[in-house]
This record gives sequence, structure tokens and C-alpha cells, in this order.
Amino acid sequence: MNRRRAPRRISLSQRRDAPAGGEWRQRKEERWRGQGKAQAREVEEDESCEQHGKEAVPRGTCQTMCPARELQDREVQNRLHRFEMLAGTERVRRPRGDPLRAVKEYTRPAAGKDSTNPTDLRPPAVLLKTVCYLIDDIAASPHLHPWTEVYSFVFDRLRGVKQDMIIQRVSGLNCMAILERTVRFLIYASYRLCGEPLWLYDPRINDTHLQESLSWLLDCYATETGPHPNQEEFQALGLLYNLGSARATQHIMELSGRLRTSPAITLALSINRAFLERNPVRMLRLARRLNFIQGCALHRHLVTCRRDLLLIYSHGYCSRNCRFPLDRLAQLLSLDTSLAAQLCQAYGVDVNQGNQLVFSKAAFTEPGKGKLHCKMYHNIVAEKQRELSVGNIIHGCV
Amino acid sequence: MAHITINQYLQQVYDAIDNHDGSFCAELLSFKHPHVANPRLQLASPEEKCQQLLEPPYDEMVAAHLRCTYAVSNHDFVEAYKFQTLVAEQQLQKKGKGQPGEMLEKAAEQLMSCFRVCASDNRAGIEDSKKWGMMFLSNQLFKIYFKINKLHLCKPLIRAIDSSNLKNDYSPAQKVTYKYYVGRKAMFDSDFKPAEEFLSYAFHHCHGSSQKNKRMILIYLLPVKMLLGHMPTHQLLRKYDLMQFADVTKSVSEGNLLLLNEALSKHETFFIRCGIFLILEKLKIITYRNLFKKVYLLLRTHQLPLDAFLVSLKMMQLDDVDIDEVQCILANLIYMGHIKGYISHQHQKLVVSKQNPFPPLSSVS
Repeated sequence: MNRRRAPRRISLSQRRDAPAGGEWRQRKEERWRGQGKAQAREVEEDESCEQHGKEAVPRGTCQTMCPARELQDREVQNRLHRFEMLAGTERVRRPRGDPLRAVKEYTRPAAGKDSTNPTDLRPPAVLLKTVCYLIDDIAASPHLHPWTEVYSFVFDRLRGVKQDMIIQRVSGLNCMAILERTVRFLIYASYRLCGEPLWLYDPRINDTHLQESLSWLLDCYATETGPHPNQEEFQALGLLYNLGSARATQHIMELSGRLRTSPAITLALSINRAFLERNPVRMLRLARRLNFIQGCALHRHLVTCRRDLLLIYSHGYCSRNCRFPLDRLAQLLSLDTSLAAQLCQAYGVDVNQGNQLVFSKAAFTEPGKGKLHCKMYHNIVAEKQRELSVGNIIHGCV
Repeated sequence: MAHITINQYLQQVYDAIDNHDGSFCAELLSFKHPHVANPRLQLASPEEKCQQLLEPPYDEMVAAHLRCTYAVSNHDFVEAYKFQTLVAEQQLQKKGKGQPGEMLEKAAEQLMSCFRVCASDNRAGIEDSKKWGMMFLSNQLFKIYFKINKLHLCKPLIRAIDSSNLKNDYSPAQKVTYKYYVGRKAMFDSDFKPAEEFLSYAFHHCHGSSQKNKRMILIYLLPVKMLLGHMPTHQLLRKYDLMQFADVTKSVSEGNLLLLNEALSKHETFFIRCGIFLILEKLKIITYRNLFKKVYLLLRTHQLPLDAFLVSLKMMQLDDVDIDEVQCILANLIYMGHIKGYISHQHQKLVVSKQNPFPPLSSVS
């Protein structure tokens, strides 16, 4: 439709809504930006196709974690992160960058910006090494504080890694290895930084990137030829993180029989079932069998689980002479007695003198915003950590 | 058809339009007709020829269709979609979406723009309005969205149709299809009462001779009805070849958890493929309720020892259930309104109301 003669009237192709060449692609980009790898890939593909006329896929050649040009630029503009500065130059007015510690940062794609210069892109092997550096030397380092700052840095640099992967359309073993570590890092962070103030850690942003990386990873498992030794672990993590979601459950149900009957997924499915049936006693009992990283994935649903327990008990035991022992409830909730009492008070459940609970459906109330601190009730996950090192958790070699 | 020249083809189109022969004209613009294989019609820019022989808007439509055949012959399916849907926009009722298959999301994008054109057509009178195309297009879009599992995209379509004043005037076939998909969407949103309404409408109004369609509707209507407490008869299941539901039905009404678990795993593949496995699992709560009601009827007292329920569950071979879980299940049933009463922890008893302790399922939402 682009080669019409003089228009005789408003033709369909010229109306705002009709798809037509570049306009179509731009609109698509607007709608699908930030919605996942496949779409972002296509956008980049279209951009580069339009600019270079269907050129081949960009291939990076940068062998360092940060391209030399960027390091120089950021040094001059004083935009180095303190983790990237050459030791001893941190206090100087213009700190020097350490090429062994500088990592390419994430930059938003912009119109007219060419992100496909090979010297600025890192090939997959270098990307994997970068990710390992970020985990071993930054995230797992016992010397860097506070961890919120560590998280910000690693989060941003991992985003840069993902961007390089998208531009180069990386797939295969390297891609999956990087995504697996990214997902484990984000899940661990969602647990460790739970309760931190919003300006230091935003759970929504963490969740968005976690879901994106997870769905890309699961896509890889589905499209690439096997074997995928960690697939069982990540399918289970995906379900635990998205507990109760119809979409996530349906996805698991559509996996091969062999996968579905593997231990991790069977356990995740049972927990999911117990959650959907509103059987918190069963759910908490099964949750004790999870390992640390699985516990991290599940932990935000424990709030709902405990709330459900108090809610249905408030209805089920609602009678004038109700006396339910606090100890028993604490056991069911996997909390110690004082914490259990605090939780009950937050939900309006009355605890009398003899440490007995008086359940009443009228008394049950949702706690006010900010009154309930999930972090206080983390012990069920915390006790699984024991001597596991952060590095081992994220690399997955436990 | 396979060897006519472009002029002959255009002449045929012109005649068809002139004689108001809609179905023949539709064939000439359809991808199922052999003329698309004719290389003489596969032109990259047929606009001039079309303009010579045909009036607007048909010239543009036919030109688009011919460019589509050209594109398809060059295996450029993206271009083909664009052009063929431009033809569809002119409201010739046909399924000409170009080649089916992998590019479903792109197809949806195109159809959505057609839908927007139809929905915003305020200039024409009611007989010529493009709004008549809205339900057909949304039905096609529903099919795609269900296939690619993006059900949330159905919402704006449903809203648009609901607020249109033509919604009861579409053809019965379109309405049945529409209600079928809206009913399925409601099911997945766990709105079972509206789902039952929509799917029942679709089932009753579906033409008696379309057995396949009726069966499809029934696959989704059955779980919804069962959740509301209405069990299908064996005759019905046999008539529509849905015996997979027979064991499920039997186990739910008897409160037989063991049989339910067996039935669900036996026909797992079928249920998962239809996407109803998860909804059937919700029947477990109904099954617990029926089982516990039996316990109540057997013991004939209003103060039922919790142990009795534990025994009944153990009989169903649920070995890892303990008394705490029994209390939890009972508390949940009370919360949901399936049991009227309370649990006394001190006496380890369930005390039920003397009147109607197990209200009928249809009265509990």
C-alpha cells in the first residue's frame, strides 16, 4: 500500500489505526516494550533491519566486562560506581576506573542510538564470566555493605548483560546459564531485602525482572534441544514463586509426564494445590520440606497462607466458649509462641490470660498497611539457610 | 479459474457486485478459492487495473486481495496478512485471514485494528454500518486469544460488545459462539454463576445438528454445573461421548475422594488438554462436603467427634492427614458456608446447627 498514486480520498492505509510499514512497527514497539524477550528481540530486529537494511545479527567483540570506550567516558564524567573504582583512588576528585572491576551498565535504548557496535557488545562467553564475577565478587562478598547497594549494582549490571544478550540474540547453553543465575539472584534478593524501605529496594521492580527472566528461561527450555539438567529446579521455582496462579499451574500441567513427576515439581504442585484448596495447615507442613532457594521463592505467599489460617479459624471456631491453645497455633504456623501472639494481635484475634485464643469471625480484621512486617516471620525460610554461602545459593551448587 | 487473465477476473468481480451476488464475490476474494494459484493474478501493484474497472471501495479491496496473492506466492506472509485483513475490513464476511498458524499474535493485532474500525464506525446508517462485523471479529479474536493463552485481552472486546446496542440482533450462530467464549472466560475467572448462564445459553441455542459444537460447550458447562451441585445424567454423557466425566460425577456425589483422585488421574491428559483439570480439582471441596455429610447422617447427632471425620478420610486412603488437617478442612467448609456450625477444640467435636447444617450446594455461592 506504500506505492499508491495521488490519494483520492482517505484510504484505509492512511488512517491512523491501519497498519502500514514503519508506523506499524513503531506502534508495536510502544505496546510491547518491556514485555519480554521475544517482543524486545523483534523490536531490536526491526530497528536494526530498518537502519542497516536487513543486516546480519550483531556479534560482539568486547573481551572485557566493560567496553573500553564506556569506561573512559564514565571516568571522565565521574560516573563510576564505587565498586568499579581503582583501589586507592576513591577519594580523589576524579577516581580512576579499574578495568578488572568495571562492568558495562544498563542504558535505555533510544531513537538514533546505535547499540549494535561490536566493540561495545560482549560475546556470550564474556557475558557468562561477567555474571560469575558479579555473583562471586560482589553479591557474595562479605566485605561489601550495605547489601541494598550491592543489590542495586548487581541488578543494574545484570540488566546490561541481558540487554547484550537480546541485541545479539543469544541462545543456547550460555544464555540459560546466565538466566538461571539471574533468576536465583533475584529470588534470593526478594527474600533477603524483604521489608527494606522502598527507596532502597522496590519489590515490584524486582518482580517484573524476575518474571521476565523466568519466562525467557522457560521459553529456552521449551524450544532448545536438551538435556536441561536444571529444568526441574526452575519449573518448580516458577510455580512456587507464582503460587496460585492459574497460568503458572496450567503451564506445569502441560509439561511432560516425566518432568511433572519429578520430586521438586511434585512437591511444588502439592503446595500449590493446598494453597488453592485453602488448606494452610497442609501447605505449611509441606513447605517445611523445601530447600532454601525454594523457600525464598515461596516466602511472600506465606503471609497469605497464615492470614488464611487465621481467617478460616476465626469462622470455624467462632463460638462463645472458644478456647484454642496458642501453643498449638504456633506449631501450626511454624512460629514461636510470642511471634504467633503478635501475629494474632495484628489480625484482631484475641489472646486471653491463659494463652488461649478466642476466635471470632466478627473480630477478625485485616492489618493496616505497614502494620504487618513479613520479615519478622521469616524464620521458616531462614532456618533452611544454615551454612549455605550466597555464592553457592546463586550458582546453584548446593 | 486457474488460467483467466486479470481482466477476466476483474470482470467477474464487477459482474458479481453488479448482480449483488455476495457469495460469489466472496469466493473471488477468498483464499480457499483456486483463483489464488493463478500466477496471472499475482500482481505486486494491481491498483491501476482495479481502478479502471471497479468502483470504490471495491477497487481497493480487490487490489489488496491481489497483492495478498502476490505476497503469498512470495511466501511473505506478513505482507499477506496486512492486505488480506484490509479486505476483511470491508466487512465481507469470510475467514480470509491468510495462511493460518504460527503468526497468531500478528493476526490478532491485525484483527484488532479491523475491530476498532468497525466499532468506531459512526457515519453509516444501521443497515450498512460496520458495527455488524464486531461480533464476528471478536469471535475470531477470542479463538486466537484462547490459543495463545492471553485471556486478559478478551476483556475490552467483551466490554465493547456489551455496551453496543446491536448485541441482541446478531445472528444466532454468532451469539452462540460469543457466549461460549465469554462463558469460558468467566470460568477461568472463577465467576461460576455467570459462566453457567453463558454456557447454558450457548448449549440450548446451539443448533441440534452441530453435535461437535454441543459437545465442546458441554465440556465446559459440565464442571461449572457440578461445582454448583448439579450432576449430569449418564444418558447425557453417553449421548455426547463424554464418559470421562462419569467417574468424576459419581465420586463427587458419593463423596468418594479416592475414586475422584483416580478418575482425575486416569483422564488427566484429556482434562489438561481442554484446560479444565484445575477447575475439576475444585470439586474436591464439594467432595469433602458430601463425605462429611454422610458422616453426619450416619452418626445422627449434632455433636460430631472430629475423630469420625478422620476415620472417614483414612478410609479414602488419605494416610497423611492428621487431626489438625481435619480441623482445617472443616474450618474451611464452615468459612465457605458449606457447613453451618462450629468446632469446639476443647471437646474435639464439630457442633452443627440443628436446622439444615449442610445447605444445598446451589444456595452456597
